[in-house]
Amino acid sequence: MTQFINRRSLLKTGAGLGAGLVTGALGMPARAQEKQLTFAVWGGDAEVAGYKDVIAKFESANPGVKVKLDVMPFAQFYQQVDTRLAGRQAPDIFRVTYQQIGRYATNKAAIDLTQYLDKDFGKGFTPAVWSAVNVKGIPYALPHHTDTFALFYNAELLEKAGISVPTSLDQAWTWAAFIDNAKKLKAQGGASYPFAMSWQNGAVHRWMFYLYQHGGRLLNDDLTASRITEKAGIETITWTQSWFTEGLVPPSTSVKSAEKVQNLFANGTIAMMLNGNWQIPFVEQQMKAKWGVTYLPRDVAMADDLGGTCVAVSRDSKTPELAAEFVKFLVNEENMRSFVDKAQLLPVRSSIVDKGIEFSLRPKEMKVFVDQTKTIPEHLVSTVIHPNWGKFNPKMADELDLAFTSGQSPEQTAKNIEAHIERLLLRG
Amino acid sequence: MAPTSMIHEKPMNEIATSRFSGWWVSFKPRLTPYLFIAPNLILFSVFIFFPLLYAAFISVHEWSLIDEPLYVGAENYTRLLTDYQFWQAMKNTVIYSVATVPTSLAIGLMLAIGLNRDLFARTLLRSVYFLPVVVSSVATAIIAAWLFNDHYGVINALLKLIGISPISWLSTTTWALPSIILTTLWTRVGFCMVVYLAALQSISPTYYEAASIDGATRFQQFRHVTWPMLRPTTFLLLILNVIHSFQVFDLIYVMTGGGPGFSTTMIVQYIYQSAFATSEMGYASAMGIILFLLILLFTLLQWRVNKRTEEFV
Repeated sequence: MTQFINRRSLLKTGAGLGAGLVTGALGMPARAQEKQLTFAVWGGDAEVAGYKDVIAKFESANPGVKVKLDVMPFAQFYQQVDTRLAGRQAPDIFRVTYQQIGRYATNKAAIDLTQYLDKDFGKGFTPAVWSAVNVKGIPYALPHHTDTFALFYNAELLEKAGISVPTSLDQAWTWAAFIDNAKKLKAQGGASYPFAMSWQNGAVHRWMFYLYQHGGRLLNDDLTASRITEKAGIETITWTQSWFTEGLVPPSTSVKSAEKVQNLFANGTIAMMLNGNWQIPFVEQQMKAKWGVTYLPRDVAMADDLGGTCVAVSRDSKTPELAAEFVKFLVNEENMRSFVDKAQLLPVRSSIVDKGIEFSLRPKEMKVFVDQTKTIPEHLVSTVIHPNWGKFNPKMADELDLAFTSGQSPEQTAKNIEAHIERLLLRG
Repeated sequence: MAPTSMIHEKPMNEIATSRFSGWWVSFKPRLTPYLFIAPNLILFSVFIFFPLLYAAFISVHEWSLIDEPLYVGAENYTRLLTDYQFWQAMKNTVIYSVATVPTSLAIGLMLAIGLNRDLFARTLLRSVYFLPVVVSSVATAIIAAWLFNDHYGVINALLKLIGISPISWLSTTTWALPSIILTTLWTRVGFCMVVYLAALQSISPTYYEAASIDGATRFQQFRHVTWPMLRPTTFLLLILNVIHSFQVFDLIYVMTGGGPGFSTTMIVQYIYQSAFATSEMGYASAMGIILFLLILLFTLLQWRVNKRTEEFV
């Protein structure tokens, strides 16, 4: 009997506690509604500092508004944003690369910004990036900055090997000259490897500019079929594969590895690196040897990568108007100028590009990158902003990695990439 | 006065009858245990059963997380049959399991037997072997990636000291999987050791005394006393380690990302890539369901085999 009463009491107490917790939670007074925006980004210290500056300005210009900056690691960024979109809890605003915006636009995960913009708003931006944020003529994000690639070099090692670097775009090394110089550096033995390319961590799209330099294309003119199996495509795969087979790059720098190429450059493992302008602050801080930046090697044409990011307002935003206001504020001329200067990035407003920007850090090297932005092919831009690009990308990484590390033939590599692209294009 | 045994106490049910209707009387005794397991059951339902059912639902759809799911029937399952990468990932997972499970059990058992004796610094050694188990696997993977790094790794530095040329551990298809296997052993051996150690300490010394009196050698004692007594523990560890090896993810994600090529792509790695890199949530869910069924099948099979063996002991 006693036992029964105790058990019953226990149950009652448990039930009471549970009910109390539930009703307590339900009965909590609602927090005072404050206007808050969440802004999800990834970025290095300089970029995050730049975002914080703009947020502080926006908050002081809009009393009662709070913007919460949510900094995530790049490797998991889209996965987190997508998961939150699936749970209808996405941040109000999110940073996104030009390569990914098409996917969010097509699925209406980013909102149409037309109603929040003046008719000629887009004219303030360079045509390439404005077209990149527009899907079927509708803007789904606002361009914030761009960045591109050039060749960083260890000045001391190149000097020892008797190699002089190009000083203008039209003097850029040919592919053959680039490889010859790489072999000279290898023979000299000052660094373990002559060079490495930064295309790891899902950035395999950077392989594409070599394809364009060689006169090839991934897709046809109207982006409805693959062209990777053409001669130029196979030859580009062969050339980039030869870097690995001839020991010109560290084996750990293939497209699927986690190696940070900038570390290898800073610590002298490689004499040259193909990387973006945003690495300048890191190299400046970490590199003991003298270094510089020169133009990318070229083949039948010069071509470079469309880097950079835009900002989109998510469909889950409860205050899309306020979110759009913030996004416009972020990309206005004054804020863009200070952001790109601090973060060592490149502007996308025509007014800033035309006037030029005097970078406080390494202005001579930054000029090389500015020159290189003029060599981004329009067709490359259209290709990488294809709504299905996010699905092409991992397969390209898989197949190129097999070519670079496992000896898969260039023909088979191209064929496998093409089969995947055709399957996706067929599905629409 | 009637004997105590004859005193008739009113049963509980009758007390209840006076207060509750008939159906409640028959239902109440069955409800009580469920109330006790309710907290666990609720948590399990929310975090295990519902996601499992939802994964099954998603597996017959095409869904990229940010759009509306589109019903495609068994298409995701039929695609698996001809997907080279899926079979490569399965093959890698099986190789990885075969290489890590028996080895970690064997080394764990040897260490447990060794550390079950009165050794100098026994507690310290136990702690050293168990330490990688309590450290987060991501942290372990980062440490391992540093150790195996081609350019500034400790292992290559040591090899250089003894005149062996450096090995590209994580960037060649030959060495990447062995590197992952070695790291796994480093993290799993301690776990097996501790479980075996607990089991060894629960074996009564009288068995060994009797065996010694009968003239059994050390090896015979191990074979006829220790090993049979450890069978349930071995079974438990086998199941846990196989499940662990089929679900390995973080270690590979940090160390190699599944590369070079597909040489270290395991099934969970491929599920993750399909779900979050190519945004094919339906296809990833179909693979998840297949993996769930495989592990379930293995566990049931192992359970039956173990039950049969127990009957013979």
